[in-house]
Amino acid sequence: MKLEEIIEFLGERVPRLEVGVLEKVRAFVIRDFKTWWTYRLWVLLDITGALTSVATYYFVSRIVTPTALVNAGYTADFLTFTVIGISFQHYVWSSVSGLSEAIRDEQYDGTMETILSSRTSFRVFLLGESVFRFLVGSYFLIASLVMGLIIGAKFNLTLGSALATAILTVLLIASHMVVGVLGAGAILKLKQGDPIVWAFTWLTQLFSGVLYPLGLLPEYLQWVGAVFPLTFSLDGLRRCLMNGEDLTSIAILGDAAKLVVFIVVMLPVSLWVFKVAYDSTRREGALGQY
Amino acid sequence: MKQAELVRILEEDKPHVKLPLRQFYGVVWSSIKMMFAYKSWMIMDLLSTFASVVMYYFVGLQVNPLILSESGWGTSYLAFSLVGVATSNYLWSCLVRLSHSIQHEIRGGTLETIAVTPVNMLTFFIGQTVRGYLVSLILLVGIFVVGIGGLGVHFQMTSASLMATLLLFILMLISNQALGLIAAGIVMVHKRGDPIAFLVASMNEFLAGVLYPLEMLSAFPLLQAVSMMFPYTYALDGMRRALILGASLADAGVLTDILVLSGFSALLAPVGFVVLNWGYRTIRENGSTSSY
Repeated sequence: MKLEEIIEFLGERVPRLEVGVLEKVRAFVIRDFKTWWTYRLWVLLDITGALTSVATYYFVSRIVTPTALVNAGYTADFLTFTVIGISFQHYVWSSVSGLSEAIRDEQYDGTMETILSSRTSFRVFLLGESVFRFLVGSYFLIASLVMGLIIGAKFNLTLGSALATAILTVLLIASHMVVGVLGAGAILKLKQGDPIVWAFTWLTQLFSGVLYPLGLLPEYLQWVGAVFPLTFSLDGLRRCLMNGEDLTSIAILGDAAKLVVFIVVMLPVSLWVFKVAYDSTRREGALGQY
Repeated sequence: MKQAELVRILEEDKPHVKLPLRQFYGVVWSSIKMMFAYKSWMIMDLLSTFASVVMYYFVGLQVNPLILSESGWGTSYLAFSLVGVATSNYLWSCLVRLSHSIQHEIRGGTLETIAVTPVNMLTFFIGQTVRGYLVSLILLVGIFVVGIGGLGVHFQMTSASLMATLLLFILMLISNQALGLIAAGIVMVHKRGDPIAFLVASMNEFLAGVLYPLEMLSAFPLLQAVSMMFPYTYALDGMRRALILGASLADAGVLTDILVLSGFSALLAPVGFVVLNWGYRTIRENGSTSSY
């Protein structure tokens, strides 16, 4: 039997309806939400974990002197400083690691091969997987910030600072979606021990100023933080939420510009890395291996 | 064909039953081999632990030593937090290692395979926890080496204080491993995650005073009362007394901590084995040793 005959034999007479990208992403979100909501106890426990880590720093803040914060150009409020740091770091960590875990789960359950052999491209697959992680992460972010407010954090919100916060948050999400795609490519090949997620969990805690201003680091280490978009995001967000600065602030504009550059440069790179990993895994027939 | 005939045909002349010690060695060795298969993951785990120590060094630069010393724990926040960070890492292993490994075995379908072999399941479960202890021990030693050797933390390391620390550490392991057994028993039946272990670990981090002196809780009597319900609170208090203040087993505070931890261990260890046994029996009876 010739190839054309096989195709003719197997081909569908009426081609399936083309489903739009938005509809597919919506389907991913609904599917993941249903799975997430099945484990309600875990929804509760996850949020307890996020809240207790914020609350811990209420007590730490009582033994801290805010001199280093003032020197770094923030208001003298260690609690607000750490609430912002922990909440946003946890947000990007849960979203980025969530994407890696999702890829791994799909491999484990054998569903990844099925989805990617359908008419869903890997770009749509990645977008669909990412959107839900960031939505759930937002839920924890808001809960952590509200918890911070309850225990005494003070946010200096004006119309201008709220607008700047919103823009910086969008840039934070976009830049970390890029990181998430890089991590997904790594996990596809390595299966376990994703170095990208690791770097964004630990190196950002150490070098992005989550719990202390970067000025406390020795000068030869301060440049390391410049690699991570979280560093600029946190600086900008703190200037907005603690100092009440808006988009007229040079420092905030600088942070936003660095984030835009990161996204523009790294988005094609991360998609390329994922494609290389994806093609190589497909060639090896290892999409369903874990 | 009758059942008895079938059993006779299938049974082995000499059953391949190995001594419990040999089985234990087999479980530990297979688990270690699996761990070494993921070398990059191991290296990253090691680096993350060291990174957390360095992070608290920088947090410590913001701490007012006078306020810390008013709590009676000396003036070095790094020494104070190092004991908390090192032991809480080990504690995590006690609490979750067994339940995670059981989940992994269930998901991979290997728990059922092991259950139908002559392997003693208690030996199997204990063997599974040993790998966690070994890895955590390496991390624990690494944390202290980085803290003492790299960041200049000074501990009171006399033979009396080290003896007290060792005893407190063993009691911490026993009492918290018992909680880990309870978590593993529940995980076997309910499959998803290990809520008990997660909750205990989160509460331990928050209320046992890993990062702040417990005296800070005095303004919150309810939280203070809850913190007293976790064995880790006493273990941490005792180990800090020994390592930071140089207290020995003759110290009243250390003795109290040891007594309370012994009470927790005596109470929780039998409960842990009962719950683990219940979980294993339940999934065998339900036929769900490989469903997740």
